[in-house]
Amino acid sequence: MLKGTNIHKSFGDLEVLKGIDLEVAPSEVVVLVGVSGSGKSTLLRCFNFLEYINEGTIEIDGHVVDPKKDKLSKIRAEVGMVFQHFNLFPHMTVLENVIEAPMIVKNMKKADAVALAEQLLEKVGLSDKANVYPSKLSGGQKQRVAIARSLAMEPKVLLFDEPTSALDPELVGEVLAVMQQLAQEGMTMVVVTHEMKFAKEVADRVIMLDEGVIIESADPVTFFENPSHDRTKQFIQLVD
Amino acid sequence: MELLKTVFDVFLQTYPGFLKATLITLQITAVALVLGTILGLIFALMKISRSKVLQTIANFYITIIRGTPLIVQIMFLYFGITALVVLSGFWAGAIALGIHNGAYIAEIFRGAIQGIDKGQREASSSLGMTRAQSMRRIIFPQALKRSIPPLGNQFIITLKDSSLVYIISVPELFAMANREAAQNWKSLETYLVVGAYYLVLVMIFTYLLKLYENKLNVDKS
Repeated sequence: MLKGTNIHKSFGDLEVLKGIDLEVAPSEVVVLVGVSGSGKSTLLRCFNFLEYINEGTIEIDGHVVDPKKDKLSKIRAEVGMVFQHFNLFPHMTVLENVIEAPMIVKNMKKADAVALAEQLLEKVGLSDKANVYPSKLSGGQKQRVAIARSLAMEPKVLLFDEPTSALDPELVGEVLAVMQQLAQEGMTMVVVTHEMKFAKEVADRVIMLDEGVIIESADPVTFFENPSHDRTKQFIQLVD
Repeated sequence: MELLKTVFDVFLQTYPGFLKATLITLQITAVALVLGTILGLIFALMKISRSKVLQTIANFYITIIRGTPLIVQIMFLYFGITALVVLSGFWAGAIALGIHNGAYIAEIFRGAIQGIDKGQREASSSLGMTRAQSMRRIIFPQALKRSIPPLGNQFIITLKDSSLVYIISVPELFAMANREAAQNWKSLETYLVVGAYYLVLVMIFTYLLKLYENKLNVDKS
């Protein structure tokens, strides 16, 4: 579904990703972990072409993306992204946030977009907030709207960039619950997170990035109980 | 007390002419604001575009206009380009004011657009919007709202700056005041009266702006 081969990414002289190979199968949930600066968020942003890779290829649903020839807006429409700071559109209501992209990008009729949005808002438990502006929502509610907004484009893959890191602790659970539900429904997901409980319970595979390379890639049980790399052991102790 | 009485006398003598002149002042200001806003938007978009050529053109315009006095620009349009086109006083003045304002309004829009959190563009990109769609639907509406206080300020400056077109004999408010003062020999009173006209106009405008800002805030947060 999503395949990165030999991904290199530098910011100036700083090489952040040093040859990443990662393939995500349909309906797979991959959790990326690592200390800050390890390159996990950058990798996610490369998959969505918010950053351009310097070397290597990215393949989405069997198509090798060429940033020079392909229309990146089309590619991005197929790869959803949920951000740490939600990035909801503050000048639009919750409903308008969700129907905007289907209407503008896919030329969906308003009635259809609204029907879709209502269904998605129900899924994330926010039907009653449809006509409210984002400033009136809690962080957890904002992030659930952001998830609904991404889902409205019916993406093939959904990327999560530390979706709960900006939330008060008591609001983390409601967002993770929605993500867990998506995973169960078969959504292909790549999640950067510090929530190890989520990684243990929901991930099909946990990947550890360290200084721009993948040092560990295993199912959660092996990853947490029998990691092969010393850095992984240190990391697990650190977050436990 | 004596002064107050003569000021009031001058007011009574001048108001028929001054009210007509006020209308011309408002017309010039309105044309200048519309033109300035359109130019401001165009040059702001050019300045933030990825094209070096467009950026350079916008920078050139802003540098020249902000770097030269408005009165020179007015004279240039009225007397300077007669070989090219002859403009009436009204239009030379209004267009000069509009071009002048455009440079300042461009900077207001540019600042507001660039001040929008980059997460907004990233979010709209990640949903598949093109740069143009993202600008039109997401970035600009937010930037416009943030531009309103500085735009209001600029509009007030324009209203007052319109007095400079007296120099090309447009019969607006300040030109009328000059004419009156030369005839009635009551300069102090006449300029007090005309100053009050501008003050009242600015206060009305400030009040309307406030209403509009409040309306925006009630709607959205």
